[in-house]
Amino acid sequence: MKTSFITQQHQEGPGNSKTMLPFWLILPTILVLLVVQVYPAIYTLWLSLHQREPRGWDYVQFKNFTRLFHSSQFSQSVGHTVVFLVGYTSITLVAGFVIALLLNRKVRLTGLYTTLLFIPWIIADIIAGMVFRLLVIPDYGLLAGILQNPSLFPPKGLSILTAPPPHPWFGHFPFPPAPAMLLLILASAWRALPFITLLLLAALQTIPPEIIESSRIDGANNRQTIRYILLPLILPTLVVALFSLTLGGMNGVGMIFSLTAGGPGTSTQVLSYLLYNIGWNQLRFGRAAALALLIAVVNWLLISGTLRLTRVDRRQD
Amino acid sequence: MRPSRTHWQTRLVNIALLLIVLVTMIPIATTALISFKREQDVVRKPPVILPCDTPEKPFDLRACRWSLEGYTRVLAPKPSATSPLGFKLTGNMLRIYLPNTLLYATLTASLVALLAGMSGYAFSRYRFPGHRALMTGILAITGVPLLTNLLALYQMAVSLRKAPLPWWDDRLFIIMVYIGFFLPLSVWIAKGFFDAIPRELEEAARIDGCSRLCALQRIIIPLSMPGMMTIFLLTFVNVWNEFIASYLLIAKNQHKSAMFGLYDFMGQNIINLQVIAAACILIASPVLILFLFTRRNFFKAMLEGAIRG
Repeated sequence: MKTSFITQQHQEGPGNSKTMLPFWLILPTILVLLVVQVYPAIYTLWLSLHQREPRGWDYVQFKNFTRLFHSSQFSQSVGHTVVFLVGYTSITLVAGFVIALLLNRKVRLTGLYTTLLFIPWIIADIIAGMVFRLLVIPDYGLLAGILQNPSLFPPKGLSILTAPPPHPWFGHFPFPPAPAMLLLILASAWRALPFITLLLLAALQTIPPEIIESSRIDGANNRQTIRYILLPLILPTLVVALFSLTLGGMNGVGMIFSLTAGGPGTSTQVLSYLLYNIGWNQLRFGRAAALALLIAVVNWLLISGTLRLTRVDRRQD
Repeated sequence: MRPSRTHWQTRLVNIALLLIVLVTMIPIATTALISFKREQDVVRKPPVILPCDTPEKPFDLRACRWSLEGYTRVLAPKPSATSPLGFKLTGNMLRIYLPNTLLYATLTASLVALLAGMSGYAFSRYRFPGHRALMTGILAITGVPLLTNLLALYQMAVSLRKAPLPWWDDRLFIIMVYIGFFLPLSVWIAKGFFDAIPRELEEAARIDGCSRLCALQRIIIPLSMPGMMTIFLLTFVNVWNEFIASYLLIAKNQHKSAMFGLYDFMGQNIINLQVIAAACILIASPVLILFLFTRRNFFKAMLEGAIRG
């Protein structure tokens, strides 16, 4: 924004060749995006209004949407997604905030700790899922000896990956979650934690130390400083972190593939995995496209929310 | 009294961080542990953590039964007269999947860095009609998740496979999909990098008699190199780790990526956990090593990307 004033003064040079240069520079990007992003998006819209028939595609208006919304697997998956997102975002945000606070103390070896803590983010989600699966695989996983001990844990001798979900407390809402869902939440949080920690740490480091100092002089203790000074100051970043976690949680599917494959039963089938299931297992592309549009709309809402927040942030400074 | 209290606090913070790091490392450490076990120790019930017990003693360091069985089953070395080492690695992972992934990741990352550099430069240095609209449009595209586009991309891949194009195969398509998916955010990051290069430098060069092209060559390209490198690394790691698109869009075995191959491995080795663990470690270690050498770039790019959405 700072350079825009200067830019306008200097850049409107004479001659057409100069003004055509940016066009040629941007053209390849635009072409690629049109083919790989815009056309598929429109195609998805078209798919969502059509249904596969033996002789071709039939226009069915909004039937895909109504059938999707009325199917029990959809409402069930919404419930699973809510449970997953609530668990995953809250664990990650709280743990990330605590670790960021600790790292902000700038003890010796902070650099080493940051590097080591960051490793899970570099590991692919499908590998992360497998790594956690190796821990709890029925009978042979390293933790199976503890987790499948009937006297310690209620699922009687059953592995986390095969134990059925407990009886729900609130009608059909899948709470309390199945043990496999807890494992999925834990594994996802493990992988997302480094990113959130770093994001919050960067926000904490922008807070001038004088503010903390003066609150100390005014007699605030550690907890009060965190509660009344730090937390309000990094609230916008916390919301950005929450949104980006929600985005990652809604669209990530690799970990479910390798960790639980939606099971046992459908107890870890969240919306993203349902999309795969409807599309490629049931081969109902129209209905899957309707679901894809729904997920995309939620994504857009979250992204525009993030943008509004970061823009407000910038206007202040 | 004050200094000793802060001293204790520092020590507590250190201990807490150390504990957190150790807990975070547990899943990785156990995977490494499993990858060095023998099949007989992997399939024991109840499972043993360290394969070091003997009939007499529960733990004996000298009796530990470590082995490379998992790795040899992934790599499948076979004796060969022609190779200089005396054996050839014949496993699909090293022969097909990893080279494919390396190809996809390198090509995608180079092209994304190039395209993002070009358009980032244009967006940063020129004002033209539609500037704002295009930038916002690209940002809006950032919001379209790969997952929801995959239905349409899958249909496109299927019909392109049937099309009479002899030179066309899934590799071209998947690279194009990756470029299109990782480009929008990279354009924004690149614009940020170019915005940070002062215009005065360029103008000073122009005044000294340097042409626009020469200013680009002498000033802009060298100064933007670290930024482009960052985009390259970020895209490289993202493509390396991508699973679902390659799983759905690639049909032939010789085009599969490493993550796809790994998923196949999981289906084939339900009980041989040491093989899965070894494959995981083999695939994850290249990007891990890359990260350890270039972590500063990663931290910067990640925060840049997060703020932009």
